[in-house]
Amino acid sequence: MGMSLQQIVFGVLSIISIISALGVILSKNPVTSVLCLIVTFFTIAGHYIMLNAQFLAVVHIIVYAGAIMVLFLFVIMLMNLNAEIEPQKRSWLKYAGAISGGALLLVLLAALREASVSSLQPGAVEIGLISNLGKTLFSTYVLPFEVSSILFLSAMVGAVVIGKKEGHES
Amino acid sequence: MILIWMLCILLAGGILCWLAAQRQPLLARWIALITVSADLLIACWLFPVYQAFPDNSSWFINYQANWIPALGVSFHVALDGFSHILLLLTYFLGILAVLCSWKEVRERTGFYFFNLLWTLAGISGVFIAMDLFLFYFCWEIMLIPMFLLIILWGDVRRHYAAYKFFLFTQAGSLLMLLAILALYFIHGQQTGNYTFDYFALLQTALTPSTAMWTMLGFLIAFVIKLPAVPFHNWLPDAHGEAPTAGSLLLAGLLLKTGAYGIIRFVLPIFPQAAADIAPWMILIGVAGIIYGALLAFSQTDLKRLIAYTSVSHMGFVLVGVFSFSSIAMQGVVMQILTHGLSTGALFLMAGMLKERLHTRDITKMGGLWTSMPRLGGMAILLTMASAGLPALGNFIAEFFILLGTFSNNPVLSIIATLGLILSAVYSLRMMQKVFMGPLISTVPVVDLSARELIILTALSISIVVLGLFPQPVIDTVHHLSTIHPLLHE
Amino acid sequence: MNELQLIPLLPFIILAMASVVTILLIAFRLSHTVIQVTGFLMMCLVVFATWYVRDTLPEEVPPLFIVDGQAALFTGVIIFCVLVIGLFSYIYFEEREENPKEYYILLFLATLGAAILTISQHFISLFIGLELLSVSLYALIAYLRNRNNAVEAGMKYLVLAALSSAFLLFGMALIYMEAGSMKFSGIAEKLPQVSSSPLFLMGLGTIVVAIGFKLALVPFHLWAADVYQGSPTPVTAFIATISKIGTFAVLLRFAQTIHLQQYPLIIAIFSVIAISSMIVGNILALRQQNLKRLLAYSSIAHFGYLLVAFLPGNEAGTEAAAFYLIAYSITLLSAFGVITLLSSREHEAETLDIYTGLIWRRPVVATILAISLFSLAGIPLTAGFLAKFFVLSAGVQQAVWLPLAVLILTSVIGLYYYLRVINTLFGTSGTADVMQKTVHPFFHVSTYITLVVLAGMLFWIGVFPGLVLQGIRLFLLLH
Repeated sequence: MGMSLQQIVFGVLSIISIISALGVILSKNPVTSVLCLIVTFFTIAGHYIMLNAQFLAVVHIIVYAGAIMVLFLFVIMLMNLNAEIEPQKRSWLKYAGAISGGALLLVLLAALREASVSSLQPGAVEIGLISNLGKTLFSTYVLPFEVSSILFLSAMVGAVVIGKKEGHES
Repeated sequence: MILIWMLCILLAGGILCWLAAQRQPLLARWIALITVSADLLIACWLFPVYQAFPDNSSWFINYQANWIPALGVSFHVALDGFSHILLLLTYFLGILAVLCSWKEVRERTGFYFFNLLWTLAGISGVFIAMDLFLFYFCWEIMLIPMFLLIILWGDVRRHYAAYKFFLFTQAGSLLMLLAILALYFIHGQQTGNYTFDYFALLQTALTPSTAMWTMLGFLIAFVIKLPAVPFHNWLPDAHGEAPTAGSLLLAGLLLKTGAYGIIRFVLPIFPQAAADIAPWMILIGVAGIIYGALLAFSQTDLKRLIAYTSVSHMGFVLVGVFSFSSIAMQGVVMQILTHGLSTGALFLMAGMLKERLHTRDITKMGGLWTSMPRLGGMAILLTMASAGLPALGNFIAEFFILLGTFSNNPVLSIIATLGLILSAVYSLRMMQKVFMGPLISTVPVVDLSARELIILTALSISIVVLGLFPQPVIDTVHHLSTIHPLLHE
Repeated sequence: MNELQLIPLLPFIILAMASVVTILLIAFRLSHTVIQVTGFLMMCLVVFATWYVRDTLPEEVPPLFIVDGQAALFTGVIIFCVLVIGLFSYIYFEEREENPKEYYILLFLATLGAAILTISQHFISLFIGLELLSVSLYALIAYLRNRNNAVEAGMKYLVLAALSSAFLLFGMALIYMEAGSMKFSGIAEKLPQVSSSPLFLMGLGTIVVAIGFKLALVPFHLWAADVYQGSPTPVTAFIATISKIGTFAVLLRFAQTIHLQQYPLIIAIFSVIAISSMIVGNILALRQQNLKRLLAYSSIAHFGYLLVAFLPGNEAGTEAAAFYLIAYSITLLSAFGVITLLSSREHEAETLDIYTGLIWRRPVVATILAISLFSLAGIPLTAGFLAKFFVLSAGVQQAVWLPLAVLILTSVIGLYYYLRVINTLFGTSGTADVMQKTVHPFFHVSTYITLVVLAGMLFWIGVFPGLVLQGIRLFLLLH
């Protein structure tokens, strides 16, 4: 077996990420779920590093594992969600979900089996580095960058509108 | 140009009625009456123009203006003898419709006359449009006000009847739209000239199967309107529930647009396909004659009874058109006119009876002759006309149709003759139930007022005149024998 | 990238500025009226800017955007709609105690999102535009959050829109993997090699799913009725017009660039979607007692009709689609405008009972509603008839008979429920009079006038479509 080091790392990371992702949906305890999700994020960040996208990996860890997951944990702890008070879902819904999800998986697998993925040229391996990313982002893609900032503005305003206190002036 | 004025007068008159009725309902009635009379006068004034026209076999008025040049749609209206007599019928019945709603309609008068006049405008548009797009446009415009007339001023089951009427006819007309478009593109691809003009589309060369399918699109729309038997279902409901003027317009004019469409579009544009399907259409027509007569015989509702007689009479039209004989074609035109007058008159009578007795059920009538001799006398004349008594217009029409059909299709024409006998049976039954026998109703009834007398007299006179002197009408439509190659015989 | 290339983007920049200006106005605590008027003026400015840059068209702003005639046309329609919706919003929100000011920021941002979709020629701009549109819409839908089911509607839209975005991204990734480009033209170049690859087709399929969600096509229509009902009426009008125009515009550009209609499989998928949308939309609308839900189902059906014009993929189809969208937007705006005008402080005017005999109480408003319903039903004299006519003629030209037959059949079914509403309008009036608005007579009157103008336009386009048609052709030639 002529597995290179790269392939071994890839395999290990993939197995961990799949197992932890399964853990997210199978675990009964929400806190365990969240911890599994954090593990998943870290393994995906590992994949990014292997693709030579260090910036993306760092951002991924900071944003998802750092900020969003902490918020998640806070919310879960504050709401004190336990398995007992989880609303009982109707069983046919579960089956319907499982069947339709399984059908989608089947279609995807069938399509992937047919596909012959041509390996992409590893031409621009340097693109993931911060300086290159910054240059591209602020020259060629400056317009979409600006539009994304507007997107955040809209998300922010939306969150403020929905979340602000009731006005009592009426 | 004069034709456009005729349409504009009606459309503007309708809007004026609506506005005027806000102040004074009576004003709306007078406006409506004056509007339609003005149009009738114009149509009469066209008579000398027509006579003076050197070649009285063709289009003596022809007006074309750009409308949507990007699509090859033009505002093309034209008048030949056939369209002209139909216009005369339209405005004549239009005046009667206004007159008969004089007292009957008490609420929302302005809107009522608005709908009435716009229906008339749509109908006259159908009779003069020579652009298929414009034709479809007018074809639809006459529907909506009619729908509103039925649903707002109709009888108890008006909602059901109005929806049924609208959905049936709309399904047909959408099929027709598809057929018009198919014709448009086929003609455009052949000649490079994309146009909806009737005279251009007449030249379209079609393969037999395309011709058959396209023709069916047209034919189904017209046959629903006519109506022929499998599609007649909407008619008794719509006629029965509509207000009197609505029934008058439906029976007198809307049904005629179906016949007009077959003669004007189906035969000339698809000569071969029409000849191929002719035996079936004659069969359907004969079925309609017999079936309509039998159903008419078993009705107890006066208006439904008259509605079924329409099915029966329109069966004659279908038989006559598809027998491809010029005598039958003259009969068809006579039938269109006289049926419009006589059935319209019967509906008016039913309306007058209902106004007095508040019922349409003939089992609750009887013995009315003693209290209403004038109406009774008129009724005898009109029912006999409807039954095809000689010397009256309907006799000539049906006789011509049967005569023309006999040479082509003796068996079916003999069966169709049974329809005449049956029509005598149901007419006599109706007369007997309503006017003879013991007096059933205890409601004191008054005989015809002067207004009603004028309406019925005008109708009776025209029916008698048409029966005695049909030649002028037959002359005006002489050129129809050129619309189809088989008609030359 | 240089400043010259930014010039064609001027209208979009002004549109973005409009939201920032609104934020500033709110910061200075200016009144609703000031914000409304400023917003209106900014939108007018956008129109002027579009007119100002007309000579530079068509201009590509690489790599993401292309501002050509088609984009200008759809942007124009979008701006027109937002002008009208903004006007309707004033009387609607002035009645309600919630603070309406932030509403305008979100409205302009969502409009910007839709406008960006019309000029996208790249997956990135497509995605950002779509997200900008959806994210603003989440908040807009749930804006009156203590009303009956606003939050439910917002939540439903959020979950389904997020799901559809996931599908979109997945599809983009698959296509990128095969074609190595995210630009529509780049994909088109690679097409000969990849068009039969299953991954590519799967990518297209998932993108179709995402677009189907946004356009509320069957079977991705489940959110439509609830969201239409739960949103504030001007927002419903927004979803029904602007959001769908933007999405359709980008679908159209994508299809044109990669010649989507060449694939029998894709044509088959779109035919099935169109047919099922027409059938399901019309049948579900039959028994609705709520006007907003009825319009939701009818809009599902209408986008089914629109897809029939999209199927042939020829010039006539594009023209028909553009005309259809214009006619449809005007129609829906006037219908929703009437609902806005009749809505009272406590109740949306959405149940059909409110409309019983309206014509005898408020003849003008009821006539406008009747005209717009006739237009939706495709009756002559109104714009809706010609729109349907063009769709039919595009379909006949390319001989797509099955969808055409379904179109005709379902139009007849559709007639039934439009007539039902019209019949309600003409019914005998029994209920008490609808209260007159007291707020700000100026805006009330201008809403009224706008409605009358819209109804007039429906008539005008319905009888003399020549000018509009010429305009559309002129715009579509600029590419």
